[in-house]
Amino acid sequence: MLAYILRRTAYGVLVVLGVLFFLFALFFLVTKPDDIARKAIGDKAMPAVIAQWKKNHGYDRPLWPGPGHMKDNMLVEHYRRMLTFDFGRSDADDTVILDRIEKGAGPSLSLTLPEFVLGLLLGIGLSLFVAFFRETYIDRSAVVLSVLAMSVSSLLYIIGGQYLIGKELRWFPISGFDPSWAVRQRFLALPIVVGLAAGIGSSVRFYRTVFIEDIYKDYVRTARAKGAGELRIMTRHVLQNAMIPILTNVVTEIPFLLMGSLLLEASFGIPGLGSLTVDAITGNDFATLRTMVYIGSLFFVAGQILTDISYTIADPRVRLD
Amino acid sequence: MTRNDRWQLLPPLLGAFCAFVVVFALAACTNNPYPDSDNGQRVLYTSFAEAPKSLDPAVAYDTAAHEITGQVHDTLLEYHYLKRPYMLIPGLATTVPKAQPQPDGSVTYAFELRPGALFQDDPCFELGGAGKRTREISADDVAFELERIADPLVNSPVIDPFSNLAGFAEFSARLSKLLKSEPGFKSLPARERYQRALPLPGVRVVDATHLELRLKAPYPQILYWFGMPFTTPVPWEAVEYYSGKNGHPHLADHPVASGPFLLSEYDKQSRMVLDRNPNWYGAKHPEWRAPGATYPSDGEASDGPAGRLASAGKALPFLDRVDFRREKESIPAFTKFLEGYYDTSGIIRESFDKMVKDERLSPEMQALGMSLDKSVIAAVYYIGFNMDDPVVGGKSGDVSKKLRQAMSLAVDVKEYTRLFMNRRGVPAESVLPPGIFGYEADYRNPYRHVDLDRGKALLKEAGYDNGIDPKTGKPLHLTFDTYDTSPDGRLRYQFFVNAWRQLGIDVEIAATNYNKFQEKVHDGAYQIFLWGWVADYPDAENFLFLLTSDMARTKNNGPNTANFSNPEFDRLFLAMKTRENDPERLEIIRKMRGIVEDQCPWIELYHPEDYSLLHTWVHNVKSAGLSVPTLKYDDLDPSLRQQKRTAWNKPVVWPAYALAVLLLLVIVPGVLTFLRERQ
Repeated sequence: MLAYILRRTAYGVLVVLGVLFFLFALFFLVTKPDDIARKAIGDKAMPAVIAQWKKNHGYDRPLWPGPGHMKDNMLVEHYRRMLTFDFGRSDADDTVILDRIEKGAGPSLSLTLPEFVLGLLLGIGLSLFVAFFRETYIDRSAVVLSVLAMSVSSLLYIIGGQYLIGKELRWFPISGFDPSWAVRQRFLALPIVVGLAAGIGSSVRFYRTVFIEDIYKDYVRTARAKGAGELRIMTRHVLQNAMIPILTNVVTEIPFLLMGSLLLEASFGIPGLGSLTVDAITGNDFATLRTMVYIGSLFFVAGQILTDISYTIADPRVRLD
Repeated sequence: MTRNDRWQLLPPLLGAFCAFVVVFALAACTNNPYPDSDNGQRVLYTSFAEAPKSLDPAVAYDTAAHEITGQVHDTLLEYHYLKRPYMLIPGLATTVPKAQPQPDGSVTYAFELRPGALFQDDPCFELGGAGKRTREISADDVAFELERIADPLVNSPVIDPFSNLAGFAEFSARLSKLLKSEPGFKSLPARERYQRALPLPGVRVVDATHLELRLKAPYPQILYWFGMPFTTPVPWEAVEYYSGKNGHPHLADHPVASGPFLLSEYDKQSRMVLDRNPNWYGAKHPEWRAPGATYPSDGEASDGPAGRLASAGKALPFLDRVDFRREKESIPAFTKFLEGYYDTSGIIRESFDKMVKDERLSPEMQALGMSLDKSVIAAVYYIGFNMDDPVVGGKSGDVSKKLRQAMSLAVDVKEYTRLFMNRRGVPAESVLPPGIFGYEADYRNPYRHVDLDRGKALLKEAGYDNGIDPKTGKPLHLTFDTYDTSPDGRLRYQFFVNAWRQLGIDVEIAATNYNKFQEKVHDGAYQIFLWGWVADYPDAENFLFLLTSDMARTKNNGPNTANFSNPEFDRLFLAMKTRENDPERLEIIRKMRGIVEDQCPWIELYHPEDYSLLHTWVHNVKSAGLSVPTLKYDDLDPSLRQQKRTAWNKPVVWPAYALAVLLLLVIVPGVLTFLRERQ
């Protein structure tokens, strides 16, 4: 298994290096260092101020390696910083990027973690329920509702949730965030509800298919013949045996919980890492954007490896080599 | 524990989790975004959309940052809160200094600082002695801040206007040279670096409370810069301590200031909190009744009836705290205002018709006790022609001039503001907005009203009869360059295209992203554009310089994006720039206005208007129209606010019960049917 993990890690490193290269090339294909400077210090800035800003931030060097500047160029500096985890300061406001990430991780996790856990429990719970009542009107209605729920844009859930639950029913604040836990829960309730509503359709449809496929297998018939009750069969046998597809779906997502949710955070004003990424994109903040993309790609690779490892835990028959 | 035992734990664990979720949801079930402990406190709640980039007063240049730096940094001078046109009054200085012309052509200004004024308490002052938490503000602190503006490492965006100080540019150049020639120079403390690069003859510290500035030539606008946080006193201790090293934050995130408020919480991604500064000179010495620490007793004629003189003579500030919450989206922010959770708000376009009827507050909103505060922003929006362009530019002489005049005559700006801005804009007749010396309300620009017949006649004179280009035999083809690619932006630009189509001219909208647009502007590859300028300070010079040759975009990368170049205009500008506001200056401004009117490098569109909604519990608010601090004048009644909030925000709970019943109605028959069938 160790050899397998090492091999996958080596592939992962190549993927990350490629991502960093494409990010650099694509970003500077559409953006010039002057634009980054102007966005950071404003349109009113005089040319000398822009030139000084570029110098202070290292954007006065050539983009690509070439004669006379094989080492002293922006591409080499880009790789050096990322590979040594020296993320530096934001181009937009000079704050230390690592501080921003540390500050943003908490708000992101306080949204994504409950949403993830609740979404998983609700998705699996409802799917078991629907599978339990398979081929009844509950099952059929659930499938129709799931497809409907999947077809609606996430933005509509957000706007609808803010309008109905926030504005009309006045149950929760329609947006915002507060660092104190006493008030934070008020702000998190609505995005969590909206996130659950937006994701529940696809979860139920997916897990229901997984469970129903298992329900018709021989071991279930055997269990039933041995006198096991339907509830026991669902929770003890079917759920356990459906763990591989569930894990495939779930473990990949775990590292990304820290990265936050781009849409929910931006729409509900939660100052997490999702918002940070959106701000970096809109603010021409290359230093922050590359850091977030880099961390995202590292998490992606980690998620893939973790998923593979989790198979061996869920099903001892699986061997990685 | 066996594998089976573990699975048996699942139902009780799930039950406990569900119970936790229900308790969490019930505890969270209120739309009040603030802790209950805030109820009844004199706290002003307001929102911000953009996070400040930096709070370093030498660097902060955006409105978002000024919202904080303006409140926490006291300035030597400030603006009278109520009077218009804008008027400077003493702040941390005891008087507004007068220009003292010198025999060598230079001009001096002598500032006297209030003796005994203190900085806010801060640990950085321990650098000056163990246990010290604050110290008196000295003229050295103002000089130090001016030296910081010259520092290439600080990279202040306002280095240009301060280059009028004698020896300022040379001081800055010496700092640059030392940075290049001495590898260790960069890491020296700022004070030491500046000592090495002195002298700076334009800034002379006479004693602890007296500072003399020497300008190379008359530049009366320098005083306005002393009404902005750029020139606030900054303690050297703060710059050294808040260097971003040793676990200390950077000065850009931790101002150490001397204003009426201090920044007590700063998480710019979500929340910023200002608390009263007990060290402020106004709080320490209310008996001084200093102009900047006392609510004014006179203002405009409308201030009395609006209730803005009720607090006359009272000591400032009135608020205990100001709580800024970040709202990236305007609709949720406005909804919270309607719920009473923000005290003031702008008006979003989507709700404008509900809020305002016939330019007055709607009866429904009046019934809620709201009031509407309107002010014209010191800004101008315009359509510009690239004067370097062979077709619309100045090189084609009278032909292009008549083309520009004709195009100006086709643009109905009143209709534009009605369609796209809910009439929140005063049609512009010239470059200068109301409230600025040189603006004349009765002036009418002959090319800034709709007259299609005259426009067509001018086009004919220019050789484009009915808009036909004689070279091609087709309608004259021009491009309107923009970075606004939104559907709304497209409609706005289409409005102008349709207006020019009435003259027979075919204008194509060339919408690209911002970076591409900047590239086009940099290369001079554009014909027509839409642009705006918001004043830094209320002086004609800050608008008219936008059309001087030195500021041309293509040649000098300056803000004159029209690349307008007229020697007579440039000569008049220099004469106007150095004069105080007197009749002769007004005459010069009129001549400059005449040149712009005739040459038509711009089609002046409008001066935007700011509409602010205020709840009934908010008092004394008057929009400034400029980015200046005003919060120390604002006041509110917290008990009335609490009463209204409670009445407006009762949660509607019946849908929750209805949903529960509906779920039961759906599930129970299914379960019963299933059990019956399985049996």
